Amino acid sequence: MERRELIRWLVATAGLRALDGLAPADLLALGRDVHRGAAAHAARRTLTGRAEQTVAIAAERIIPATDTPGATAAGVSDFIEKMLMDWHTPAEREHFLAGLSDLDARCRARSGRDFIDCAEADQVAVLIALDDAKQDWFARLKYLTVYGYCTSEVGQRALGLWPQPWRYDGCAPVDAAH
Amino acid sequence: MPPTDFDAIVVGSGITGGWAAKELTELGLRTLVLEAGRPIVPERDYVEHKPPWEMPFRGLGDRRATASRQSIQSHSVSFDELSHVFWTDDVDNPYTTPADRPFYWFRARQVGGKSIIWGRQVYRWSDLDFEANLRDGIAVDWPIRYADLAPWYDHVERFIGVSGQAEGLSQLPDGPFLPAMAMNCVEQHVRERMAQKFGRERILTIGRVANLTQAHHGRAPCHYCGPCHRGCITRSYFSSINATLPAARATGRLTLRPFSIVRGLIYDKERNRIAGVRIVDAQTKAEREYTARVVFLCASALESARILLNSGIGNSSDQVGRNIMDHIKWGGASGGIDGWTDRREIGERPNGIYVPRFRNVSSRHPDFIRGYGFQGGADRDGWRASLHAPGIGPAFKARLNSLGPWSMTFEGFGEMLPRAENRAAIHPTLADAWGIPSLHIDCKWSDNELAIHRDMNVAAAELLEAAGARDIRPSTRGPSTPGGTNHEMGTARMGRDPKTSVLNGWNQSWDVPNLFVTDGAAMTSSGCQNPSLTYMALTARACHHAVEQLKRGEL
Repeated sequence: MERRELIRWLVATAGLRALDGLAPADLLALGRDVHRGAAAHAARRTLTGRAEQTVAIAAERIIPATDTPGATAAGVSDFIEKMLMDWHTPAEREHFLAGLSDLDARCRARSGRDFIDCAEADQVAVLIALDDAKQDWFARLKYLTVYGYCTSEVGQRALGLWPQPWRYDGCAPVDAAH
Repeated sequence: MPPTDFDAIVVGSGITGGWAAKELTELGLRTLVLEAGRPIVPERDYVEHKPPWEMPFRGLGDRRATASRQSIQSHSVSFDELSHVFWTDDVDNPYTTPADRPFYWFRARQVGGKSIIWGRQVYRWSDLDFEANLRDGIAVDWPIRYADLAPWYDHVERFIGVSGQAEGLSQLPDGPFLPAMAMNCVEQHVRERMAQKFGRERILTIGRVANLTQAHHGRAPCHYCGPCHRGCITRSYFSSINATLPAARATGRLTLRPFSIVRGLIYDKERNRIAGVRIVDAQTKAEREYTARVVFLCASALESARILLNSGIGNSSDQVGRNIMDHIKWGGASGGIDGWTDRREIGERPNGIYVPRFRNVSSRHPDFIRGYGFQGGADRDGWRASLHAPGIGPAFKARLNSLGPWSMTFEGFGEMLPRAENRAAIHPTLADAWGIPSLHIDCKWSDNELAIHRDMNVAAAELLEAAGARDIRPSTRGPSTPGGTNHEMGTARMGRDPKTSVLNGWNQSWDVPNLFVTDGAAMTSSGCQNPSLTYMALTARACHHAVEQLKRGEL
């Protein structure tokens, strides 16, 4: 048994464990997706044009470049595209895209422009409002952003998780180097 | 033509098949190992060092492929985006259950079987376990006692390498351990506080695990990379691939045939012997027959029962397929431990802590017989705790780099009683992709297991209280699904009477003397310890017995 799994078994949140929370109909829909033509599949994209820019900018606002690289440098929007295209159900995908439209609507109400054309301060304010409101499509965007960043090479290096230490110390000082 | 006649045939190359191969070849037998799945080449197939960004779904798994082909296997704790290739395809390998009684049958078909993906926790049984059925008047008595198996536990542990801490407990005998893995600071604290409160009654020890802490028989010590269930290029944990099959190969007497699915045993009625084994080639679907003087079934508890039932052999007792047992889990508790905020773990220890069974050891519990052990450990949350945390921007990003408080978790693994009605039978119509009839599995927990499960929450909370934990959270999960611990066993039990058991005290069929079953099927009761070590010890012991009988001309 993987220890991390063992230690966390009580934490119901875990999030995106592959088949959790899917009804039988969803499972069937996922199954049907697999059998579609792979070539046609590869050509399609969920996020195109302004939607792609919207996700890329929103991800960077969530995890901005500071003294370490941010979401853009970590290629987070490519990971989100991959997840939307090949992991989520059609219904989840539609829900996410509807969320991006809602994001633009909120920006227009606030500043008269779509999200990608807003000033950074307005973008941040709108995203914070969505976060505070616990909008579930935004929670998905944020989850994918954090997950994608922390599992990227850029993110793993920034977090000190890569390269691996290849030794075990159960009581190391917090700031110890590997 | 490659040879088709051998001294011995072993069906399965997993944790017991590998042992049978090693022992039988080392004792001089030309041995054919039949494995249903593909060959494994560590340099190609082991993927434990692949970083997350090289996985298309970063470890979240190919959800669509999982939904369509592995919706059962994916419930295993060792199933992930990379290790899924070590689990079977549920479409090619179907089975059924009653609609209201799910059973998870986790299966592996490749050379090495589940020994590649096992949890590696190894605990001896004691006479508390071997005498349990007799004491309680449950099912049938084990035909062996601890003294019969102790030298074989030694034999197995010396070869596989077990790191652990000797504790001198009667219910959990010590072995020739390699140096123990370290506990972290909070686990040490909990151990001390438990000792103050419970003395020797409830102790916390480091897990006994088949991962090396020093070089051992040419295998390198563990380097703490983490995902053992994806393989181990340094051979630092025990598996058939890493240890027993190479030892068998070194004798020059091993023939290993992958892609060989056993369709049935060939029975010679005149001699009352198994003449051989009929297989179907998994790739070509061609049938072949192999003959031998002795046959070992090591195909896993339910698969070995399926082979016996499909062959119509060895079942005069009507006990084949019955008495399915697993271990009940998902009871326990977690709690926060204050302090040590300036300390953290470095590296991934492939092991946790263990609290040996304490119920019904020296006193009698009013609600249930038998007992359970706890596994678990202490750690601090990292970036994953931020997946659902509030905020965005630089402050949120900084949080990804911080560690949460320490928390300690205990998870129980409880004994299951053998009951004849927990049964696998041949399905009247359903067959697998090779036309071999499938199983219908009907298995559920009894009141005793459910009482054990409830008690896990209570006792785990007591341990956390003793440790001074705050915010103690008992498990809110119900009992695990039977089969879900992947400790299924009991489907061809050992016993003292041919009328009520399938195997004698040497894992030998009462009905057909050159047939041995040494995987989990042989178990007469389930204990609460992780069972693989006992399977291995039983296998080695049975191999030596079989070879002695062969030498005496008795088989």
